[in-house]
Amino acid sequence: MLKRLGSGAAAAALLAGTAFANPYEPYQDTTLVVMFPAHPHYDAAIEVLDQFTEQTGIEVEVDQLQYLRMRERQTLELTKDEGDYDLISFVVFSKADYVYADQLENLAKYFMNPALADPTYDQGDLIDGYVQNIGVAGGTKGYLPGQLGSAFGVPFGSETSVLAYRRDIFEKHGIEAPETYEELLDIACRIPELEPGMGGMASRAASGHQASHAFLLHLAPLGGQVFDDNWEPIINNEAGVEAANALKTIVDCGPEGGTTFGPSEAAAAFKSGQAAMFLDSIAFAAGFEDPSESQVAGNVGYALHPMGVERASQTGGFGLAIPANAPNKEAAFLLLQWLTSKEGDKAVAMAGGNPSRFSTYADPEVQAKYPYSETFGEALKYADPDWRPIIPVWGQINSDIGTTMSQVLTEGLDPQEALDGVAERTRALMEESGYYTWQAAE
Amino acid sequence: MLANVNRATPYLFLAPAVLVMAVALLYPIGYMIWASFLDWNPSQRIGEAEFVGLRNYIYLLGDAAFRESFWVTIRFAAIVVTVEMVLGVGLALLLDRKLRGMTVLRTIFILPMMIAPIVVGLMWRYMYHPTVGTLNRMLESVGLPSAPWLSDGTWAFASIVIADIWQWTPFIFILALAALQSLPQSAMEAARIDGASGWQLIWHVKLPLMLPVLIVTALLRLIDAFKVLEVILVLTNGGPGLSTEIVALRIARTAQEFQDLGTAAAMSNLLLILLLVLTILMFGYTRLTERRAARLAAAREAEIT
Repeated sequence: MLKRLGSGAAAAALLAGTAFANPYEPYQDTTLVVMFPAHPHYDAAIEVLDQFTEQTGIEVEVDQLQYLRMRERQTLELTKDEGDYDLISFVVFSKADYVYADQLENLAKYFMNPALADPTYDQGDLIDGYVQNIGVAGGTKGYLPGQLGSAFGVPFGSETSVLAYRRDIFEKHGIEAPETYEELLDIACRIPELEPGMGGMASRAASGHQASHAFLLHLAPLGGQVFDDNWEPIINNEAGVEAANALKTIVDCGPEGGTTFGPSEAAAAFKSGQAAMFLDSIAFAAGFEDPSESQVAGNVGYALHPMGVERASQTGGFGLAIPANAPNKEAAFLLLQWLTSKEGDKAVAMAGGNPSRFSTYADPEVQAKYPYSETFGEALKYADPDWRPIIPVWGQINSDIGTTMSQVLTEGLDPQEALDGVAERTRALMEESGYYTWQAAE
Repeated sequence: MLANVNRATPYLFLAPAVLVMAVALLYPIGYMIWASFLDWNPSQRIGEAEFVGLRNYIYLLGDAAFRESFWVTIRFAAIVVTVEMVLGVGLALLLDRKLRGMTVLRTIFILPMMIAPIVVGLMWRYMYHPTVGTLNRMLESVGLPSAPWLSDGTWAFASIVIADIWQWTPFIFILALAALQSLPQSAMEAARIDGASGWQLIWHVKLPLMLPVLIVTALLRLIDAFKVLEVILVLTNGGPGLSTEIVALRIARTAQEFQDLGTAAAMSNLLLILLLVLTILMFGYTRLTERRAARLAAAREAEIT
C-alpha cells in the first residue's frame, strides 16, 4: 500500500517536472488538422511546420485550398457538431460571418491559461493595424476594435499594399517613383508612350471581387469610404467617382487584356515585363525577386502606396483562428502561438512569408535577405484597418461593386451613375439587414 | 384473394424503384422548394432559418442583376443549341457514308465531349489569352489586330459561345449520325427511284424521319445549356460586368459569396420551372406531330380500302 502510494507520488512529481520543462508534453503525438490557403505566405509556413513538430512532438496535417474557396468549405465545416479542423486560416472578410455565428473560439481563455500561454509572446509587438483588422471584433461598428472588443484570431499572412515599380525603366526615362495619385496616374499613362508595348500599371480588374478590391484600394487614399458613421452609403460621393476614374485610367493605360486580371495574372504581367508598375499586396514581392519565375528580378523598386488626400494602404490577408468545434483546441492554440511568436514569425519570414510582427521587419537578418522589408515596415504605419467594412452582408455589396466597376471598365458605364446605383442597392440591403433600426424616424 | 395478390405484384416490383426515386429525387427537390421560402444563411441549420414566404421570389423578380443573368442564359442557350444543331446535323449528313478511316475520324470528332469541363475552360482561357494566347498570336501573324476575347462584354459572350459549340457539337453529331444510320433504307431507295436529288432526299426524307430523335437531342442539349457552369466559371467568372453571368453561375455566387441559400434555392426553382415548361412544350409538340402522322396514315388506309 505504502509502496503504491510512493510510486504514485513519484510519478506525479515526474509529470509535474516534465510539464514545467516542456509545456508541449501533454499534447505529444497529437495530430492537428489545419486548413491553409494556397498563398505564398502559407507555402512558407508549411516549410517551417517541421521545426514545430520537431520541437513539440505535435504532428500537423495541412489541407490547402484556393483562398476564395475557403469560406465555402469553412462555412460547412464550422456548422458541424464536431469539426475536422483544429486550426483554420480565414480570409479577413470572413471574420464578421464567423464571429457573428459564434463559430470561433474567443482567445482570451487561452491567453489566460498559464499552462498554455507563453510569457515571452509579446503581444505588443504584433502589427496593430493587422490585429485590429483581422483579429479583433466586437468594438466600434462591431467589426473594429474598441473598449469592449476581444480577439478571435491572430494575424498570420496579413498584408498591406505597396507600389512595386521597374527601377530600370524609371531610371532610363528619368522618372521618380510616384508620391501622389496625380503622379501615379500621369506615369501610368506615360509609360505606354515611352516604352511601346509595355503597360503602365498592372492591376486586378476582373469582374466581381477583384474589381471591387482594386476600386477600394484607391478609394481610401483618395478620402472616400463605403459608409459614413451611420451606415449611410457614401460610395458615390466625389472621392468615390475619383477612385473609379483612377481605376479606369490605370486599366486603360495598363497591359493588354487587363480587364480580366486577377491578382496572379496582374503579378504575372509585371513579372514578365508587360507593365512598369504593380500596386497590390506585399505578398507578391518574394515572387518578383525570384529569378526562376520573374524576368524582372533585381530591377524592382518598392515605394509606399501613393498618397491621395491621405496615406491609407490596405489591410487584408489572413488570420489564424480555432474553430469552436475543433477536436484539439489546446494543441491548436499552441501551434497558433508558435507560428505567430517571434521565433515562428521570423522563420516564416525567412522562408518568404509576410511578417506579422514589427520586430521581424526590424530584424537585420530578414532585412539582409529581403531588402524591401524596410519599406514594407514603413508602409505598415499607414495601413488602414477600416479601408473596407467587414460586416456579414459585405459579400453581396462587394460583388455588386465588383460587377458594376467591371461595367465601368469594359462597357463605358458612367462612374457616377454606376456608383449611384451601387449606393441605392446597398442602402436597400442595409435597411433590410437592420442597420437603420436605431435611426430616428424621418 | 389470389387475384388481389396478382394485381399487387407489379406494384411490388415497382416499389424499390419508387422508393429510390422518392429518396434521391423528390426529397432534394422538396428540400430546395422549402429552402426557397426561408431566409437561410449557410452558418445556420435549416431548422434555424426564418420563414419569409415568397419574399425571395419577389426580391428576384425586382432584381435587375438576376433578370440580366436570366436573359444572358436564354440568349446563350438559344444561340449555342441552334448553332450546334445545324453544325452537328450537317456534319452527320456529310459523314454518313463509307470512307476509309471513318471510325478513327468519328472518335476524333467526339473527343471534345470527353474532356472535363474545367479543363476545357482552362484550355480556352489560355487560347484566348490577350498576349500569349494562340488565337491572338494567329491574328497578329496574319497582320490582323488582336481581339479582346475575354475583356470586352460582347466578345466574352461570343467566346463562351464558341467554347461551348466546340465542346458540344459532337454530342449532336453522334446522335444525329446514329439516327441517320438507323433510317429505313427502303424509304431512301424509293425516293431515289422517284428521282429525288441529294438535297431533296435530305430535306424531304431524311430530316423528317430523323425529327423525333433530333427533338429529343435538342431538348437534352437545351437543358444542359441552361445549366452549364464550369467552363464559364473558369473562362470569365461571369464578367466583364454581368455579360456572361448565366443563372447557374449566379446561383453558385448567391450561395457562396452572398451566403444567401434561400434566394439561391428560389433561383434554382425558377430555372427548374423554365426547364419543365420547355420539356413539356417539346413533348407536346412531338405528341402532336405523331398524332397527325397517325391520322394521315389512317386516312390513307381508308382511301386505299
